[in-house]
Amino acid sequence: MHPILTNARKLLWYLAAWMLTGLFVALLLVTADQARWGSALWFALPAAMLYSFVAASAYYVCRSLPMAKRHFFSAVAVFGGASLIAGFAWLAICHAWNQLAQALASGYAALPITQHLAVVLFAAGCGFYLLSILAHDVLIAFDNVLLAERRAAESRVLARDAELQVLRTQINPHFLFNSLNSISALTTMDGAAARSMTIELAQFFRQTLALSEKQAIPLADELALCRNFLAIEKIRFGKKLESALEIADNAQRALIPPMILQPLLENAIKHGIRGLVDGGTVSVQAFAREQWLHIAVSNPVDSDPNPSNTAGNGTGLKNIRQRFASIYGERARVSWTLADGQFLVEMALPLTYHEV
Amino acid sequence: MSASTATLTALIVDDEELARRLVREYLGRHADIQIIGECDNGLQAVQDISGLNPDLVFLDIQMPKLTGLEVLELSGRSDGVIFTTAYDQYALKAFDLHAVDYLLKPFSQARFDEALAQARRALGQTLPALANLLAHTAEKLERILIRDRHQVHVIAVEKIDYVEAQDDYISIQSEGKSYLKTQRLSELETQLDPKRFVRVHRSYLINLEKLQGMERTSKDSHTALMRDGKQIPISRAGYERIKAVM
Repeated sequence: MHPILTNARKLLWYLAAWMLTGLFVALLLVTADQARWGSALWFALPAAMLYSFVAASAYYVCRSLPMAKRHFFSAVAVFGGASLIAGFAWLAICHAWNQLAQALASGYAALPITQHLAVVLFAAGCGFYLLSILAHDVLIAFDNVLLAERRAAESRVLARDAELQVLRTQINPHFLFNSLNSISALTTMDGAAARSMTIELAQFFRQTLALSEKQAIPLADELALCRNFLAIEKIRFGKKLESALEIADNAQRALIPPMILQPLLENAIKHGIRGLVDGGTVSVQAFAREQWLHIAVSNPVDSDPNPSNTAGNGTGLKNIRQRFASIYGERARVSWTLADGQFLVEMALPLTYHEV
Repeated sequence: MSASTATLTALIVDDEELARRLVREYLGRHADIQIIGECDNGLQAVQDISGLNPDLVFLDIQMPKLTGLEVLELSGRSDGVIFTTAYDQYALKAFDLHAVDYLLKPFSQARFDEALAQARRALGQTLPALANLLAHTAEKLERILIRDRHQVHVIAVEKIDYVEAQDDYISIQSEGKSYLKTQRLSELETQLDPKRFVRVHRSYLINLEKLQGMERTSKDSHTALMRDGKQIPISRAGYERIKAVM
């Protein structure tokens, strides 16, 4: 969105600035003895106002070369080229208005646009346009700073919310109480199994608390948590739950936000495996390629066209999307599809091995 | 065993094996209760409740495919039920409201025995509490469940075209097929969103989204034209109702 044209106040200031420029041009013309004040003003002011809109196009020129990726030579070429074109436009406006003004106002003495004057006008036009480019660049930089600050603040809020959410879901009532119930059952059937499940459950919560305090953790740590989680769930679901984790070596140390994968696995079981009579396999794949970390989670789902009450409503996935957006901006993506009885979640995020 | 303590039969329904084993273990203390079956999903439970007719049913509220309450609705069962659940804040509010008892996992032998005693006492009587709860949860239905001998049909409410009353049954028309259900049309009417489903006639209820248009057939009567071509008569009262919504 054009920062000046879409803001009434800024537009007024902008036009006022161009009026002053018009005055300045008129002044120059008068001091150079090219015209009297009346004609000079009548000529310069409208021409300047018309040109202000041409100059506003500098915004789009600036946007075409984003500051982060700007190279000196391409900048010179593009900005120089645009200024030259604008200079010609300025000259054209001056000529046209000069003629038109004669037709409109009888008292107007047409300005004799000599070659010398034309060159000066052309140079002035280019100069003004370059100034406009500079001004717009500054405005864009300013906007970028504000945007970055807002994103950082949003990210902090989201992270805190996510932490609270995580703590809440990790004191995930269903998981907790069902697991405790399983332990209760095991105490008389298989005391040793009861003990080990108790310990695994405690470890799971301990890990969860530790990880959720951090901003970023190695994928390997999140996977350890997931394996722990799956081990506990396997006791509850037995043969119904199988899992397959294929993690490339180069992905193990990659950093990711905490508590991304574990909730996905939980959903996969809750909304997928659990609804199937014979259960199924939850698979996780992760690999790094070029500058990206790719993670995919898939699970079979009930092909019943009428999903029951246990069908999720996607808030978990949208949450991940939001978290990614506030941390990585546009550089990360999450997508999910349902095809051939498999629900697949795919994520791509920037590959980093060190805390920024 | 005294003459008044006949053997009671019990069915255990829970999708987790350990949870079922725990109930089995707790029942071991009650010599007069015989476990006649176990189910790990709602559909099987409906079959077994109707087929085996157990005196007592231990039923998990949150199960895949069908919830515990839907199982009861489909099997027409309303007594001798002991609910279990790990956690379900929304459903439990309704349970508390209607004073229907439930066991929170993990539960102790003592708590279990208490619930069991209560259920035994009420055997044979239809508790108004449970009936109210079932009616309450049936409001604003999202899907209709129909039992057809060994099959359960689940019809998403938005896929219904119209419903026609036929004696004691209703015939639900959806996606080219029709299903019979033993229910009164007026009862179904209360369970559906009145902004989307209108009773246009004593014998007809239509889904407004499947309505193609309306025609005036005479001074006092109209006809509804459905998307699939079917024409449905609209009574005077029905016309007022449909006008009010549209």
